[in-house]
Amino acid sequence: MRYVIVGNSAAAVGCITGIRKVDPDGEIVVISYEDRCYSKPMIADVLVDIPEEKLLYRDSSFFEENGVETILGHKAVSINRKNKVVALDSNELVPYDKLLIATGGKPFVPPIEGSDKKGVFTFTELHSAISFKNYLKENGAEEVIVIGSGFIGLEVAYFLREIGVNVRVVELLDRVLARALDRRGSEIVENMLREKGVEFIFNDTVEEIMGDEKVSSVRLKSGSVLRADAVVVAIGVRPNTELAQTAGVEINKGISVSDTMETSVPDIFAAGDCIECTDIVDGQKKPIPLFPLAFEQGFIAGLNMAGKNMEYLGGLVLNSLKFLPVPVLNAGVVEPTDDSCEVFVNDKFEKKGFYRKAIVKNGKLIGFIAIGEIDRTGILTNLIRQKIDVSNVKERLVELDFGLVDLPQWWREEKLKQDKTAYKDWRAF
Amino acid sequence: MSRKRKLMKVYPIEENCISCRYCEVACTMVHSESKDPVKAYKLENLLPRATVEVKEAVSLSLMCRHCKHPFCFDACISGAIMVDENGKVNLDEEKCVGCWNCVLVCPFGAAHPMIREEKRHSFKCDLCGDRGFPACVEACPNRALIYDFER
Repeated sequence: MRYVIVGNSAAAVGCITGIRKVDPDGEIVVISYEDRCYSKPMIADVLVDIPEEKLLYRDSSFFEENGVETILGHKAVSINRKNKVVALDSNELVPYDKLLIATGGKPFVPPIEGSDKKGVFTFTELHSAISFKNYLKENGAEEVIVIGSGFIGLEVAYFLREIGVNVRVVELLDRVLARALDRRGSEIVENMLREKGVEFIFNDTVEEIMGDEKVSSVRLKSGSVLRADAVVVAIGVRPNTELAQTAGVEINKGISVSDTMETSVPDIFAAGDCIECTDIVDGQKKPIPLFPLAFEQGFIAGLNMAGKNMEYLGGLVLNSLKFLPVPVLNAGVVEPTDDSCEVFVNDKFEKKGFYRKAIVKNGKLIGFIAIGEIDRTGILTNLIRQKIDVSNVKERLVELDFGLVDLPQWWREEKLKQDKTAYKDWRAF
Repeated sequence: MSRKRKLMKVYPIEENCISCRYCEVACTMVHSESKDPVKAYKLENLLPRATVEVKEAVSLSLMCRHCKHPFCFDACISGAIMVDENGKVNLDEEKCVGCWNCVLVCPFGAAHPMIREEKRHSFKCDLCGDRGFPACVEACPNRALIYDFER
């Protein structure tokens, strides 16, 4: 059996891990246009000079130990589904028996006039992060404009302040992380960033990036013109489906996959930021571009590619803001989805430094926020995942000492005594 | 199939737990520099990897389950969490970057955040790796923790 994986990040490593659980001998080939297996969520750390080895997600020994052949520095440009080969930009043809498309996401750049000027960057690849850093140094940049206040935008802004660069974040909506947090959560995060010296411009957007060859300023929709020695576009990522299209696989909001992570074309699987997955919370198919999900999807794809039949549990939103001194986590939804939802809040942020919120619908937890005190919140995440009835303990969900003793006794019997902790054991009830 | 797991784990027995927290003390002590229970808490700012939970008549001590499918391993962005050939889940605190994903996904709440000015990383039960036998089990006076082959 010959497995070919296009991509070399979380989903690819998950896939290798999954394949090797079942098939110790089959050939595995990894194709990536990038030169190493680094941790995508950590690229903004290059701004604060994280040592290169810390950025590595898996070093060469991982690939050697798993008997993986790597073709690095070459882009897979097309798939011929009839002959079952992947064509590279070097014109090399790589045959496969089972193929995983793990091409990830690509940054979304809205049509802004002047966005092709030098000094405009996106932030989803190590290469672009390093180029950005070098550009700042070479041009002695003092003022940077970040477009978008999502996770990437805020992290870049924070680290820029860390190295003494002035930052203005321009956000179309009226608060930071508006799609990830509730209003209170946004306020807490915004305050922490303001203390760090980040400036915010809300309800506005960049309409034009100006300058000769290089960017020198931006013009906002509101009319004001701001100095910009560099611009970071961090509005979001979209599934990268270019390669998948060449194979004619079904694509909706992302590559469409079955519960076993197989695409509409036999023997072609897909996982990670390039797909749309089922959200456990609302049952909708959508891209949820998150590292933990990418790994898990890749792992499940690997098991199935190697012949073990295993269905994916489904995804859910899982966010962690890792750069702030105060941890900020959330899972599932953060606002009630309709009138039948109950909302529980424990806001002691001013006095004790924590904020907790939980949303319950039909007796089930469907989301929470934890800021400041985050220990043991994984228990809550699992309540969402397994759809366990929490009617009797709903007020307790936002207490810091919420624990397994609050869960039904049969759950502890099954998980602790019987040790039912295999993948299939975590399915929703 | 790949080789079979051969792992011994700590199993709590809630019927026997009297919430004395000896397990917590023993855990903190053996993971400290000073090997002294008071200094470990006060001077080294250490926290136990075993958590005693109490609610009315029910209590139990809980630590990393070394899950057959560890979600923490899926979620770890730095490569600090690895699973060895026996199925033991290891967390390298030096490699950990404190992204808190493991804290967010552990169904047992057994991966904990260490958030200090100078130190930010997750920590969890290591089954007392070098020691050979888990200190919490040794310290438990009422057989509420047992060290047994994986079930």
